[in-house]
Amino acid sequence: MTEEKLQIVAYCCEYCAYAAADLAGGLRMQYPPEIRIVMLPCTGKMDILLALQALEEGADGVMVAG
Amino acid sequence: MIVAEQKSLEEIKSLVGNAEKVLVVGCGTCVTVCFAGGAREAAIVSASLRMSSKLDGNPKEVTDVTVQRQCEWEYLDEIAAQVEAVDVVLSLGCGIGVQAIAEHFPNTWVVPGLNTTFLGLPTEQGTWVERCAACGDCLLGLTGGICPIARCSKSLLNGPCGGSIDGHCEIDDEIPCGWQLIYDRLNSKGKLDMLMDIQPPKNWSTSRDGGPRKIVREDLRLNEKEESGS
Repeated sequence: MTEEKLQIVAYCCEYCAYAAADLAGGLRMQYPPEIRIVMLPCTGKMDILLALQALEEGADGVMVAG
Repeated sequence: MIVAEQKSLEEIKSLVGNAEKVLVVGCGTCVTVCFAGGAREAAIVSASLRMSSKLDGNPKEVTDVTVQRQCEWEYLDEIAAQVEAVDVVLSLGCGIGVQAIAEHFPNTWVVPGLNTTFLGLPTEQGTWVERCAACGDCLLGLTGGICPIARCSKSLLNGPCGGSIDGHCEIDDEIPCGWQLIYDRLNSKGKLDMLMDIQPPKNWSTSRDGGPRKIVREDLRLNEKEESGS
């Protein structure tokens, strides 16, 4: 596995982390393309099953931001 | 409720062995509310087995299903087709659930994913404690609703013993002395005089000492006509 091919799934809260990522995009700020954002209505919705599903589908890591 | 704990993934993997198709069966009753073997845990174990077997280079086909109660034939009938399609069933039910599956599906190899631990209740979030030993001859009426069989380490009928230290048991100072609890309870109810009655040795034949137990309720049994459905 090379670092370039890492895939990180980021579960982000709609109201803070996702909004921040959205704002960053609006400001043309860059973040690594290896990070795939999944919006959650709240990180309280985060569940071990979501993390396992991402890992099982091939993600190298899971990030929770909220 | 029946309280259970999940076995380690390593032990589960060794129990599953070389089976290629595995069905993880959760139970929707006691082990769901003690977070050991409900639908969520079945899905987690299922995903863990899939990923682990893939990493080991021998990917298994692992699916999961949860029935309302593993300890009744009617609920097991619902998963008959899924059970028959696999090499091994990993039951996340209590020991009763595992045996019910083995008995109901004699052609199927079933293994336990949990250690069935005790009959108890949650005293706070994340903590379960034993409250009943299912002795078959309830004494709670003599002890203010605190079981000396389950909560005294020696199951004494006339306590406390000399090992009661500052309200705790000599085997572990984290364990409250069952008889101190009984004394305090009866004292608070003004019923300490109940302790003056010395209890005779308990008849353990109603417990495990009498062998496997059975209850037959003639008033609930079906008669021949009802059983044949005519």
